[in-house]
Amino acid sequence: MLVSYNWLQDFLDLHEDPKALAEKITRTGIEIASTVHPMTGLKKLVVGHILSCEKHPDSDHLHITQVDVGEEKPLQIVCGAPNVAKGQYVIVALHGARIAGNEKIKRGKIRGVVSEGMICGLQEIGFSDHVVPKKVANGIFVFPEPLEPGSDVYHALGMDDYILDFDITPNRADTSSMEGAAFEVGAIIDQTPKIEECTVKEDGPEWTQSWQGHADLKLAPKYLLRRISNVKLADSPLWLQTRLWNAGIRPINNVVDVTNYVMLLTGQPMHAYDATTFANQTVEVRHGRKGEKLKLISQDEIDVDPDDVVITNGDHIVGLAGVMGGFDSEVNDHTTDVILESAVFDPALIRKAALRHANRTAASARFEKGINWDNTEKAIDIAALMLRNLASGRIDAGILRVNDQPKPLKAIKTTVSHINHVLGTQLTVSEITHIFDRLNLPLKREDDDQIQVTVPNRRWDLFIPADLIEEVARIYGYDNLKSTQPVLPQTHGGYSPVEIKQRRVREVLQQLGLDETINYSLTSTEKAKLFTQDPNPLVTVQWPMNSSRVALRQSLLSGLVDAASYNLARQNSELHLFEQGRVFNHAQGHYQEYEHAAALYVGHTQPTNWQHIDHEVDFYGVKGQVVSLLTALGIKENVSYEAGQIAGMHPTRTAIIKISDVTVGFVGMLLPQYQSQDKALRNAEMYGFELDLEKIMPLMKPGVKAQPAPKFPSIERDLSLILDKKVSNAQIISAIKASAGKYLQQVTVIDHYDGVQIEHGKKSLTYKLTFLNKKATLTDDIVNHAMDEVIESLKQQLGAQVR
Amino acid sequence: MDLFERVKQLRKEGAKAIESAATEKKLDEVRVKLMGRKGELTEILHAMKEIDPQHRREIGQEVNQLRDQFTERLDVSKKALVKKMVEQRLENERLDVTLPGRPVSLGTKHVVRILQDDLERFFIGMGYQVVQGPEIESEHYNFEMLNLPKDHPARDMQATFYIDDDHLLRSQTSPVQARTLEKHDFKKGPLKMISPGKVYRRDDDDATHSHQFAQMEGLVVDRHITMGDLKGTLESVAKHVFGQDRETRLRPSYFPFTEPSVEMDVSCFNCDGKGCAVCKYTGWIEVLGAGMVHPNVLENAGIDSNIYGGFAFGLGLDRFAILKYGVGDIRDFYTNDVRFLEQFRQEEN
Repeated sequence: MLVSYNWLQDFLDLHEDPKALAEKITRTGIEIASTVHPMTGLKKLVVGHILSCEKHPDSDHLHITQVDVGEEKPLQIVCGAPNVAKGQYVIVALHGARIAGNEKIKRGKIRGVVSEGMICGLQEIGFSDHVVPKKVANGIFVFPEPLEPGSDVYHALGMDDYILDFDITPNRADTSSMEGAAFEVGAIIDQTPKIEECTVKEDGPEWTQSWQGHADLKLAPKYLLRRISNVKLADSPLWLQTRLWNAGIRPINNVVDVTNYVMLLTGQPMHAYDATTFANQTVEVRHGRKGEKLKLISQDEIDVDPDDVVITNGDHIVGLAGVMGGFDSEVNDHTTDVILESAVFDPALIRKAALRHANRTAASARFEKGINWDNTEKAIDIAALMLRNLASGRIDAGILRVNDQPKPLKAIKTTVSHINHVLGTQLTVSEITHIFDRLNLPLKREDDDQIQVTVPNRRWDLFIPADLIEEVARIYGYDNLKSTQPVLPQTHGGYSPVEIKQRRVREVLQQLGLDETINYSLTSTEKAKLFTQDPNPLVTVQWPMNSSRVALRQSLLSGLVDAASYNLARQNSELHLFEQGRVFNHAQGHYQEYEHAAALYVGHTQPTNWQHIDHEVDFYGVKGQVVSLLTALGIKENVSYEAGQIAGMHPTRTAIIKISDVTVGFVGMLLPQYQSQDKALRNAEMYGFELDLEKIMPLMKPGVKAQPAPKFPSIERDLSLILDKKVSNAQIISAIKASAGKYLQQVTVIDHYDGVQIEHGKKSLTYKLTFLNKKATLTDDIVNHAMDEVIESLKQQLGAQVR
Repeated sequence: MDLFERVKQLRKEGAKAIESAATEKKLDEVRVKLMGRKGELTEILHAMKEIDPQHRREIGQEVNQLRDQFTERLDVSKKALVKKMVEQRLENERLDVTLPGRPVSLGTKHVVRILQDDLERFFIGMGYQVVQGPEIESEHYNFEMLNLPKDHPARDMQATFYIDDDHLLRSQTSPVQARTLEKHDFKKGPLKMISPGKVYRRDDDDATHSHQFAQMEGLVVDRHITMGDLKGTLESVAKHVFGQDRETRLRPSYFPFTEPSVEMDVSCFNCDGKGCAVCKYTGWIEVLGAGMVHPNVLENAGIDSNIYGGFAFGLGLDRFAILKYGVGDIRDFYTNDVRFLEQFRQEEN
């Protein structure tokens, strides 16, 4: 809500600098998003009176005017506006003036004719398009009344005002009116605002008796109409127009302007119908019906929904209640009699209707957040009086009260000690009483501690003691609260056990040289299914913003590929990326979340260098990273790697990782994207792994029992074997382990060869076996014996020859 | 030649030979020739037997002196030769130390995670427990338990991704409050928790909006928690993250799950409060929202709001990172350009 500082002066005696006041309001009540002084940056703009207006001899659209600007001689100004005419009072930018955009105006010649300034339209001096009256939107602004030539235009146009932008939170809709704002500012500066009441002396005949009105109490607990006859539609006086445009509303005509003005003043939205709309003297507020249509003032035709609230004349719909009137029932140039509507509609239904028809208006915004039930009648009375004054209307006797349900006042009880307990203050009962005085909320002391506050209907946001505490806190001032720390029995701070494990996984991944990424959980339905062994039903959102953010990912690798693509397109071709986060599915009809960890590698294992000591990323390098990770997590036993297939992975270069026969993830080369739409990925060799931490975390068991480092030396033996190509390393290792006896500590592959030196279909593998007796020095005899057993077993089981 | 002559000559020749030996090997040959078992000094000693005892003593003294002299000179010479050899060798090993070293790939923590870890440690130090919650949340916990019934206008403050009528991607970390409140046994002590995590809003991604970002929720509930405690806690967080010299202010605000509700601003670090484009000429930058837990939230979780009360706060980890490091575009956190990510390595702690 844009609140005019000058208008606030109607209610309060303000002396404070507007910006200082804005800061106070921000700290105490409503955040002031900005404080704008419209005349800032403007210079030498004065009222001019056009004495003559001739056609420019060398132009079909320019005019040469003589303009009285209060100086001895009139100024000659060439003007291109289509609406310029003799006799008008206009805005003149003199030689040396500054207009909007800091543009400087200079004397000059236009098509050979001297022009000593410029006649301005409102946009040219900084007005926003959406507040400029349509009549003058494409030309110069014409003052609706004579002004002193040569005087500043700023005051006449309301530009000497300060506009405070109240950024109103949903609970403080009570400040969405000048009266509400005045109460708020009054409380802050400790003044009681002068809020005027209204008494109407009707001067027309009684009109309500012959009318039929019906409205559901739930839809419209209050529904009041007044009839104003013989109105003369015209432009509103300038003072009214300036108040509207400073509040961000475009002046239209005196009838519509009055309804908007009264809404700004009281917070009560109003509507004016051409009285001929209700020719059969019937009005009805009801739910919409399927198949009904309505053309709105905005000229949009809508299909009415059964949840909409509509106004009808007993025959057809004439307006969408609380949101916007119908085009056909609108006040127009032929209107003579006006029906004014002032009502309270059901907030939730109005909110839904405005959302449904994408038509949130100043009125609907107020209805949905609540309005002051005690202003409904006052608003219609003020509007009636204004129409009599500004449109020569006749106020016909009586208000048609279709519904007029009163709203009882609330009383909230609390105690001074409770307030102090929550705020950590030592306020006395009189200090608290004073705060509620400032807020104009009547307070009754029940005893030394107990207080009761009666809440007027203008503060419908106050319900419970906590609401009163907030009022006390903010008026007392958050700056005045003492900063303390909670004094509590000791609590044990820390991570949950699961998080400790997740953090450890991330830490090791980082130690492995991987950069942590965070990718989007939402992806396309295609990507969401990639990199999972058996894709489950996807979790999809109902109203995705676009097709690339539809479904929740079932793997982290798909996001890492996106990150790789982004980097590769920017020539970042050395990538070691990881993510630790959640994946999702809808297995067995339940929404499930699983913690995963995944990594993606492109380029070299280490930064390339001039010595060429580097290595391209390959399967075994990445597998080694998995091994290092699992080892660092304390998982050394029973890990196996089996060739397997995963959507999105290379079919012959991928291993399924199992721990004790349970699949925990996979490692391998990503399926080359030779044909990819994404050019950045076409030539990239990508390797990666993905691990299901839900399976791995339970195996991470903290608590090491210390072992001394071995005191006795170990003995190493190398063993070179020639075998059939199809015999796997895993088979050989398990055969060695099974036959080497209890002193075998470790067995590792140290060489692999299958080139020309070897018989076709065979390969050579060399292993290093490490033996250790932790309790004594090993003898060669024992190790020799073990090696004999190993060799014998390899010969027997795998047909191995020793080289 | 008499022995005296031989000694005299040997003194001269020996010194010359030692001096002219250019390598360690040559020097060793000289040593053998002069002082070895068959060397010249030994020969002289043998020859001494043949001269008269009177001169024998004299010669003996001279030979001994000469041996000492040779020993010393050989020693000096050897040291010099070794030194020279070492110097030569080291010179041969000379490297161009200005050629680049071979760096090792170091992993980097994501900048949002840096903020998260830092804040987690900060709160754990104050006795907070870190709690996690689901990202697919029920409407019940995301809204209703937090005093946001259906059709509450404040639901519009957050555009939510719905999955079905009852489930959604959580739009805030606050549902973890509700879940924790429900479970906590106050007989075992006060509740002090934080909950970091991803949240989702139906916003189009641009420089200042992201449909996914990270929040951290905080909640303290017990019998005697005051708004002063909230103020003190928030001030220490803000100063911890943004610097001890920052000013802070609390401003009334609105969240359905707190009453009173506040937002905290810190004085603009760019202009120090004078007003600039970063703070939109207000001198202040909003950093978080907070308030005293709404009685309805406590009651919804089955907690007697007449006995228990507390405060809650929520902060945006992305927002903190943006403000702390001057990040111009929130999308940078999620596109993961490694050049962007790796610059924060030095901030890890």
